[in-house]
Amino acid sequence: MIVVKDLVRQFKSGDRTIKPVNGVSFELGKGSLASIVGKSGSGKSTLLSLLGALDKPTSGDVVVDGVSLAGLPDGKLTEYRRRDIGFVFQQFNLIPNLSALDNVMLPLEFAGVRKSARLQRAKELLEQVQLDPEKHARRTNRLSGGEQQRVAIARALANEPKLILADEPTGNLDEQTGEHIIELLSSLSRDDNTTILVVTHDRSLAQKTERCFRLQQGRLTEEVRSGSRR
Amino acid sequence: MSVLARSVGNAFRNKIRTAAVVAVLAVAIGLALAMLVANQAVGAKVQELNASVGTTLTVNPAGGQGFEGGGEPLTTTEAQTVASVANVTSVVGTKALRLQTASTTTASTGATTGTTQQAGPGGGFGPGGQQPTVSTNLTAAVDAGTLGNRNSSTGSTTQPTRTLPITATGTGAEVDSTGKALNITSGTGLGDYTAAEAKALVGSSLAEKNNLTVGSTFTVQDKTFTVAGIFDAGTTFGNNAVYVTLPEAQALAATPDELSTMIVTVNSMENVDSTKTAVQNALGTDKADVTQGQRNLETAVSSLNSVKNISLIAFIAALATAGIIILLIMVMLVRERRREIGVLKAIGAPNRTIGLQFVLESLVLVALGSVVGAVIASLASGGIASALISSNTTTTAVTRTQRGGGLAGAVPNGSLPGGGGFQGGGQGGPFGGASQLLTSVTASVSPGVLAAGIAAVFAVAIIGALVPALLTARIRPIEVLRGE
Ligand SMILES: Nc1ncnc2c1ncn2[C@@H]1O[C@H](COP(=O)(O)OP(=O)(O)OP(=O)(O)O)[C@@H](O)[C@H]1O
Ligand SMILES: [Mg+2]
Repeated sequence: MIVVKDLVRQFKSGDRTIKPVNGVSFELGKGSLASIVGKSGSGKSTLLSLLGALDKPTSGDVVVDGVSLAGLPDGKLTEYRRRDIGFVFQQFNLIPNLSALDNVMLPLEFAGVRKSARLQRAKELLEQVQLDPEKHARRTNRLSGGEQQRVAIARALANEPKLILADEPTGNLDEQTGEHIIELLSSLSRDDNTTILVVTHDRSLAQKTERCFRLQQGRLTEEVRSGSRR
Repeated sequence: MSVLARSVGNAFRNKIRTAAVVAVLAVAIGLALAMLVANQAVGAKVQELNASVGTTLTVNPAGGQGFEGGGEPLTTTEAQTVASVANVTSVVGTKALRLQTASTTTASTGATTGTTQQAGPGGGFGPGGQQPTVSTNLTAAVDAGTLGNRNSSTGSTTQPTRTLPITATGTGAEVDSTGKALNITSGTGLGDYTAAEAKALVGSSLAEKNNLTVGSTFTVQDKTFTVAGIFDAGTTFGNNAVYVTLPEAQALAATPDELSTMIVTVNSMENVDSTKTAVQNALGTDKADVTQGQRNLETAVSSLNSVKNISLIAFIAALATAGIIILLIMVMLVRERRREIGVLKAIGAPNRTIGLQFVLESLVLVALGSVVGAVIASLASGGIASALISSNTTTTAVTRTQRGGGLAGAVPNGSLPGGGGFQGGGQGGPFGGASQLLTSVTASVSPGVLAAGIAAVFAVAIIGALVPALLTARIRPIEVLRGE
């Protein structure tokens, strides 16, 4: 479903160039649930934004369902993000003056879903991530970090994307809520055949994924597991 | 939540700033609109002045004007000659008569007897020779006063009191003796002005003085005339007058072919000077004097034109200011919300949605600014327009006063017998009307003017919002999300 070919992303900082992603290649099958671990600053977020077409690689290519992202024009990349990708940002990136519901409804609006259907779907999603119904109409800058994180996850799921890219989706959550989110994501990959790639420091989450990659010095290596986790 | 709702919400996100922006925009837009309104008002007035004044030539017999001077009278044949000159649209002949109230006529003309006076006191074609005096049962609406009495004392006979004569003008069209259309306030015109008929138009003050209404009758030289209409010339002097058809006046004066004055209308302002020369040549310099009616209004027109230009520049400047304000504010707003654009873009918002959102937001701000600005403009424009016009026409006013003063000064000296007394009775006829036109220029807010001004600001607002928003939307989302 997603094929990453020799991906490189370099930054210039002063007179040095750093390559947090330096020749990354891997493949993920449809409906698989995978995790990326690595030290802080190792380039996990950078890699994820390349996969989510938020950034362009210095070289290399990402092929999703046979379509190369490198060859797509800007408008098509926007469409790819809207239709095929659900992105959970490490800093959530919600629109602060909009309510939780409005934030979740945004991608639905861009996808042209009718207004009543949007509201219905947004409510369902917020319930799925266990956000208190009384907080649905609250502006997101008045929500706690964990609440914002769950709104961000709900927003990523809105358009039923075939690929979910989640950067630390449980980083701000307590163990129990974190468990629930992990359960939600694995059920999506299991039941809806959604491909899910999560970046995490969370051991328990990493252990529950089918595959686990480690990003180190710009290179991605797969951790070998003794047996399947599920 | 739709794009529109989001935009409106965003416009009020920072209420204090929104209020400040709307206030500043309102002042700029209000000023721009006020200037546009002033410009239009002045423009309309210039056009009106040009139309009523600028294209009219007056032809008088050489050496004579009004009731003064000598020379040979103009004839209808000459009118035809003038009509065939290039660029002449119309020629209206007038025949002026002096109506003297019956009882005093007898007294003042006792020496020569008879009711029809072909010649004035001087006889022949001396002073007053062109404008015969005929008797009437009407009483003048203007009291002789000091000027009138002083004036009459220059004649051969001296009366202790004397009523002023009334001007009766035979006219070939529904215009006054300066070529301006008659303003008939009740009744109708005379119909065919080239046919003799015992009907007359009576000035409002004269009608009042003599209790005349439409359908009333009065006599001139024992002939009964019916009042067909009452007109208002706008001046006391102008309203102490009677208009009859041209042939009727010629018959009353017993001079069938003679004209006192011809009013020549030229087809356009540009052709006035050349046509003036052409008419002069056609008639012969020794036969007729051709003057451009109210020539000194040209200065008024040109100063009004400069006001028009100034107000146009001020309009453009104020509009540009409004444009720059909204432009800078939108650039600032878009910059401030770069990150938000990045988020929208990252979750798949097309560029046009992002552009639309910011355009709508700016339109909300401009709409508010325009509404407040339009209120300011409608309050301010009248004052601004009249201030601009009155300060710029002082030159005209001075000219007028000087000329009026000249007349007033001349009359007591006795150097201007007869006619001076007429003028002394009221304001200087044509100038009275023209200055009224000038001073009455007041701006009114026309919907078209408002729409044009606001549309221009809206266009700037759209550009100011769209360009920076689209420029930001084109950047890779991750760069925008990371911030500066
Ligand atoms: N735009 C940029 N310009 C320069 N350097 C950058 C830029 N973006 C990221 N980096 C650098 O690239 C490296 C990887 O950053 P990245 O955000 O991918 O780390 P991460 O693995 O997600 O870390 P964390 O676990 O703390 O989130 C960091 O050293 C960072 O300083
Ligand atoms: Mg990161």
